Amino acid sequence: MTAAQAPMLLTGNHAVAWAARLARPQVVPVYPITPQTPILELLTDFHAEGNFDAEILTPESEHSVLAACIPASLAGARVFTATASQGLLLMHELLHYAAGARAPIVMANVNRTVASPWAFWPDQTDSLAQRDTGWIQFYTESAQESLDTVLHGFRIAEQVLLPVMVNHDAFYVSHALEPVQVPAQEVVDGYLPPYKPVNRLDTELGSSWGNVVSQEMFCRHRQALEQGMAQALVAAQEADREWGALTGRSHGIVERYRCDGARVVVVTMGSMCGTAREAVDAMRDAGEAVGLLKVRLFRPLPVQALRVALEGVPDVVVLDRNHSPGLGGILHQELRGALYGVKSPPRVHGILAGVGGVNVSPDAIAQLVHTALTTPPQPESEWAR
Amino acid sequence: METLELNQQPMLCSGHAACPGCVEALSVRHVLATIGPDAMAVIPPSCMAIISGPQPFSSLRIPVYQPTLEASAAAASGLRRALDAQGKRDTHVIVLAGDGGTYDIGFQCLSSAAERNENILYFCLDNEGYMNTGAQKSSSTPHYARTGSTPEGKVTRKKNLTEIMAAHQVPYAATASVGFLPDLVRKVEKAKAMRGFRIITLLVPCIDGWGLSDDGGLAAARYAVECGAFPLYEVEDGRRYTINRERGDRPVADYLALQRRYKDIDSINVAILQDEVDEGWRRLRRQVEMGAEA
Amino acid sequence: MNKVLIRPTWTHGTTEVFKTGTWRASLPHYVKPPSPCHQACPVNGDIAEWIGLARARDFRGAWDVLTRHNPFPAIAGRICHHPCEAACNRGAYDESVSICKLERAVGDMALEAGWAYESPAAALNGHIAIVGGGPSGLSAAFQLRRRGWRVTIYESQRKLGGLMRYGIPSYRLARKVLDGEIARIVALGVEVQCDHALKTAADLDNLRATHDAVYLAVGASRPKRLPNLPDRAPWLMDGAEYLARSATGTPPALGRRLVVVGGGSAAMDVARSARRAGHDVTILSLERADQMPAQREELAEALEEGIALVDGAMLAAAMPKVGSGLSLSCTRVQFEPGATRGQFTVKPVAGSDFELAADAIVVAIGQDADLSALSQRLGAEGGLLTVGNRQTTSADGVWAGGDVASMARFVTEAIGMGKRAALDIDRVLSGASADTAASERPVGIANIATWYHPKHARAAELLRPAAERVATGLEVQLGLELEQALEEAGRCFSCGECTHCDNCFHYCPDLAIRRVNGGYEVLTDYCKGCGICVKECPTGSMTMREETK
Repeated sequence: MTAAQAPMLLTGNHAVAWAARLARPQVVPVYPITPQTPILELLTDFHAEGNFDAEILTPESEHSVLAACIPASLAGARVFTATASQGLLLMHELLHYAAGARAPIVMANVNRTVASPWAFWPDQTDSLAQRDTGWIQFYTESAQESLDTVLHGFRIAEQVLLPVMVNHDAFYVSHALEPVQVPAQEVVDGYLPPYKPVNRLDTELGSSWGNVVSQEMFCRHRQALEQGMAQALVAAQEADREWGALTGRSHGIVERYRCDGARVVVVTMGSMCGTAREAVDAMRDAGEAVGLLKVRLFRPLPVQALRVALEGVPDVVVLDRNHSPGLGGILHQELRGALYGVKSPPRVHGILAGVGGVNVSPDAIAQLVHTALTTPPQPESEWAR
Repeated sequence: METLELNQQPMLCSGHAACPGCVEALSVRHVLATIGPDAMAVIPPSCMAIISGPQPFSSLRIPVYQPTLEASAAAASGLRRALDAQGKRDTHVIVLAGDGGTYDIGFQCLSSAAERNENILYFCLDNEGYMNTGAQKSSSTPHYARTGSTPEGKVTRKKNLTEIMAAHQVPYAATASVGFLPDLVRKVEKAKAMRGFRIITLLVPCIDGWGLSDDGGLAAARYAVECGAFPLYEVEDGRRYTINRERGDRPVADYLALQRRYKDIDSINVAILQDEVDEGWRRLRRQVEMGAEA
Repeated sequence: MNKVLIRPTWTHGTTEVFKTGTWRASLPHYVKPPSPCHQACPVNGDIAEWIGLARARDFRGAWDVLTRHNPFPAIAGRICHHPCEAACNRGAYDESVSICKLERAVGDMALEAGWAYESPAAALNGHIAIVGGGPSGLSAAFQLRRRGWRVTIYESQRKLGGLMRYGIPSYRLARKVLDGEIARIVALGVEVQCDHALKTAADLDNLRATHDAVYLAVGASRPKRLPNLPDRAPWLMDGAEYLARSATGTPPALGRRLVVVGGGSAAMDVARSARRAGHDVTILSLERADQMPAQREELAEALEEGIALVDGAMLAAAMPKVGSGLSLSCTRVQFEPGATRGQFTVKPVAGSDFELAADAIVVAIGQDADLSALSQRLGAEGGLLTVGNRQTTSADGVWAGGDVASMARFVTEAIGMGKRAALDIDRVLSGASADTAASERPVGIANIATWYHPKHARAAELLRPAAERVATGLEVQLGLELEQALEEAGRCFSCGECTHCDNCFHYCPDLAIRRVNGGYEVLTDYCKGCGICVKECPTGSMTMREETK
């Protein structure tokens, strides 16, 4: 297969593999886990064909995968990997480690239910449970968006020196076929400048990474990390704009779909957005003023953009395909926090919809919206019936 | 006696925080000096990590990356691939890990890196316990040794790492000791000139953990080899065994008597240990024979 | 003032900023304690130093160091009683170093190469008289002449050498070697007057008046007699006379069966000379074989040469038999050595009488000094001139040494005394004060890191086969070949003498020892005082000293 101008029919996973190939990473440690495996299989095919120059290594676990990624990145190599669910959880220690190391790794994560019990269905709890680790997080709804976002990821990561996680839902995005525009290599080469960090593991420099720090150094380091996140917000917007200029495709960090004049805005992430678009269209067709706010960038949480988008909207219905025990829907609770103190705050209804991969149809969404409008908003998230 | 001629460059600095008389610091001094400046080291949490220095100071003149405790071989693999991708194929990637980070928590990724024959040179600084956290047992702690977590003596035997690595058929697996410095240097030079997964386990008597005098580390290191408890040998490609030094006639009891961690050991147990050492040598010799036949 | 914030990741600097020297309670020092061989050596001969030079194949350098203290290395290497070897630390490990043979190797090399001493220093204003041209007098002459003093030796015999020529037989010390080492001293410009004996007190007065200092090394030449034997008899001779006449090339014509009375080196020399002259020889000694003052090797070689030994027995009487020969009445005894050398008690064992048949008796039981003239001017006691530890006598300007002043009747002891006297004469005549350096503890085996010295047997002693010895009269003990000598020199621990092995440098975990010009230095900023360097030193050249702050 070669890169072409005509769209290719690709699954979400294969689109990610194409993006990874085009970004020219130098080191790709990877470990298979359903439903991520097609990503690594296509990459190894590219490698076998001679079309993918990276050092692919296959350690014995995801923990070792990320353990290999970090020093490779610190040595100044561009690094890519992919995982899902249990694999991501096994990496948890190292997710913190990578962010603390300011290693600009890009990782695709296929959102899959987290054991126990065992299941393979779409659910975003896996990556949302990593929201404190310092990784920039995107949630995509289509194969095309996954491809574009992986490329944005390298540009942002290398600019602000924080790792980027691009999440797409198991099967709905990872395995569904759609026509995808695969950009030309030259376009990507122009879009992604070579990665050359000033501080790196290099025998010419002699500098070391990882020596024990004092309390005060640690605190300053965290402050610097927070600054990186603030820079990431700006960088994400700029990366999206620049890519839009190059390809005509711009996704934004949040997307307002038919929100003008909306009395109700559905807020959600990932593949649910695609379903919600259909529900919004149907309700609009039926004369209801409903819109969709897609949250694409989740970390850093685009607080300002959320406030601007939702201030004055009478009702907001948050659909969470995830669950944090004792808290409820994660997007719901984060949104409540983001909106606190805004003038004319919306009534926020949080619904746990699709947890565990339960199918949520456009009709179901419409029903959830209608039900929400007739019930007072609760501080807690409610389970969709 | 002759002057020790060592072709080395000093790559460890003074001012590090090792205990006075630390055999680990001494061992690493010579490993680094023999490897030279075109190298990077991966050092997990361990005494060595502390000896490496507090931010912003390093005691090593080569770049060091400190991974999490269970990930040394994986981290070294990633670093190795990055250097290879950059065309720096001759820059050595070495690991300086303790027995905890090698035999126990780091064992899984060690096995994988060995099976993948990653081009790294792994040094296990084996002081037979989790010394940095206060001398608790590891699977490298020998039978009957007293540690922070086995106050009545460890009830199981020491795991044989070199045999496990030989079973992975790595190009080079060997034991060494700074008590036998020319042999150590020879092995580092030999391993340095090879490619693929190479592992050298250094016995490092720990002054504090084993209960030795500040200047007693080298004597313990030598007794260990002389009594046969720590044979010096090499295994190439998992098959060709070379015993570098014949065992002497020093009884194991002499070696135990040097160490506070064996204080008041029952004489029955001393006899058992002697038998275990003798049996270990019989097995080793059988392996030498089998390797020669192949 | 703005505080400079340290970047929290990526190092920039080394741990050398931490001066870990503040941790220690004791610090290693480089020291040069004396080696036990040096202390035991009668000339205090810097043994570790010259062996080290020999080991490095700098034999000229080794000879220079050796001859600092002893001008007769080839001679001493043949006949010295080598107390150095008894004291040698290697003896406590495997076997003592063959120091005596090594000295011989260097001495022989010097003679063969014709190495000469450096010309004496600028002439000093002083003339020293040395009475006696034996080992002690020659040693003193050597030390004084090389320093620039004018020296005259007054020797009673026709040739220089004393007991080295007239007492020690040529199978122990070849004449060529003796003459070579003596000539080398005389070549420095020592004036010699042979056939010139000091006979009276007035002779001594005269010497004192015409010289700035006098060293008396006249030896002990009055043979001890056995009281139960006649003063004179045709079948009786004193050992010194036997040897002196043998030295001229004409052994005395005594009967075939010879009994030599005595247990010391002189008795061995007599017995073995007689054997070479064709006699059947029996040694009769009061001492048991293991108590005999003669060197073990001398007795062993004598027995190999077919000499019989009757030890632990005394000669009660000797009677000529009717016809020919003698009958010697002997009794077994218990010999107990006394507190001081030369003293002993003898207890006859009841009922142990026995007879020995012989044709002649040579008595070699030692000699006394002739103090008849000297005791008129100088303090004496117990048959010896009384001397201090710098060989001074009771008279100003007169020193004495050798057999006339000591019961330590060994050639090398005499050489040592000559050296000590000469150094004191030099000091006094130069107006310098005495050195009161305290004596140090020598290096012990515990100070040596024996790990670095694999066990290795001593160089094999090579002897001419016994039959050949007796037939040819050539030197019995053969020297070491060059490779043997080098190997043996390699066995020396070099106690107290650093060999620059670099162990201290290599075995420091903190790199706190630095190599500096020709040596090492402890970096006190970093040394934690662990003591590994001292433990690993294979020569005992380091020690830990407590540091008090």
